[in-house]
Amino acid sequence: MTNPADHSTSLAAPRRNSDFWNGTLLHALAEFVRKLDFLETIRLLTLFLAVVFGVAHWLFEIVARLSFLVFVLRPRLLRRPEFWLALAVAGTFGVILRWEVTDNHKYLLVYWLWVLFVAHLFISTEQQERTIRCNARFFLCLIFLAASTQKLSSPSYRSGEMFEHLLYVDSRFTAFGKLVGISPQVPDAVKKRIALFRSPFAEVEGNELEIPGSDRARAAALLLTWWDVSLQLLIGSLLLFRRAVTDKFAHILLLFFILTTYLPAPVFGFGWILAIMGFTLAKGKFPKIAAAYIICFALILVYQVPWREWVLRT
Amino acid sequence: MGFAGISPLAHPSAFQRWVLMLCVPCVALVVVGRQIYLSRFHDLSTWKGGGMGMFAANDGPQSRYAHVYLVKPDGTRDPLNQFSESEADFVTRALEYPLRSTFLRAARAIAQENWMPMQQRAPVTVFDSRSEPLRAADESFHLMVPYGRSSDTEKRNWSIEIQFWKLFYDPVKKRAHIRLDQTFVFKPDELFERKPENSVP
Repeated sequence: MTNPADHSTSLAAPRRNSDFWNGTLLHALAEFVRKLDFLETIRLLTLFLAVVFGVAHWLFEIVARLSFLVFVLRPRLLRRPEFWLALAVAGTFGVILRWEVTDNHKYLLVYWLWVLFVAHLFISTEQQERTIRCNARFFLCLIFLAASTQKLSSPSYRSGEMFEHLLYVDSRFTAFGKLVGISPQVPDAVKKRIALFRSPFAEVEGNELEIPGSDRARAAALLLTWWDVSLQLLIGSLLLFRRAVTDKFAHILLLFFILTTYLPAPVFGFGWILAIMGFTLAKGKFPKIAAAYIICFALILVYQVPWREWVLRT
Repeated sequence: MGFAGISPLAHPSAFQRWVLMLCVPCVALVVVGRQIYLSRFHDLSTWKGGGMGMFAANDGPQSRYAHVYLVKPDGTRDPLNQFSESEADFVTRALEYPLRSTFLRAARAIAQENWMPMQQRAPVTVFDSRSEPLRAADESFHLMVPYGRSSDTEKRNWSIEIQFWKLFYDPVKKRAHIRLDQTFVFKPDELFERKPENSVP
């Protein structure tokens, strides 16, 4: 015979489930993150970044894989400055040899490797942590303030020209465009027309072409333009104050930025390094926010599913 | 003898602490400053060079391109566009940082190929702003294909002309236009290293 108490349990279960997801799970994750060793976690996240989203140069790839092997065999060597020096030097070579085509986040990765090298030049873990935290804050401010300054000073950014043009000609944005209501036929038609400029067998009168764009693309481009720059400007500025309340707000915006930017823009290494820096600042002060960064790492990996093909196929 | 490695600092002075903490940010600031200078005065793409200006202007790879021509000694020219991976990489690098020296590097790599005309000359077609064909232009070109590498002994007298173009988009008028930014002509002396001929004493 069923005990009436069992019924009450089953009826109450959905509410408890909800509590579990809202409170207990995040709390448990925050507790898990709180128990993580700060330096060890930063080292591991950085090594993962170097191996998976590293500098695209054979020397760096070899050194990163050897470093990973060394870590597997002797995990304690991660605490040696030489370990980070080897990665930093190889990354620097990789970036310098192809500096004019290397993406900004590869520069950032190399700076971060040098930061870890420098931090490990100190014996005191307190000094190591301080060096890493100080540099994480500096680089987050630099990235977002330099980017927003360059954007605000560029007429082709402010007018929405850049994002509208990208929505038409950059294939990475076609699926995102479809999600916001821009038919893939629009970018296809624009690309076909612009291809005339690039063909040596074609000459366009007056060097000017009408573009069969859409008003929706214009609206989406303006929205992207001002969403992107205002978010970046806010994050960079808030982190300058070094106050708990402004930091907390900056972290929430940074998490929002990472979660929304790296779905349409497949620059996963950039998302990963931003999340490392955010985690560095949040760990110890905001356990739930630090837990959210851990979720971010997982999501950045999940974002690599071929969702663009799925969207374009439907 | 064992490898001692780098000895971490047990008691760093305040100066050492500050120098080590600030050295990487200082380098990063110098790189950003250099990128802004090169971008402003030497046309380095805003997207590249470590200035954190990705997606900051419409001068990324989608807005820069080149027309490459092989120019014969009699002045006739034919466009080249079937590049190998490494040649295309040199062209891309030159487009991001369009100096004579970067385009010369690309031109030298392209000039090593043995370029052959594939078919009859095809006329250049003139299009209107709605991409409707209007007429045939005065100029006509061969379609050129790479056909192996030239031997060192083969005498090559062609030059390479590279036109660097920029594309702009006006979102209000919904019109795209292009501008020829620079033209570089590289003579055989620059493209091919001539081996000194044996002279008879």
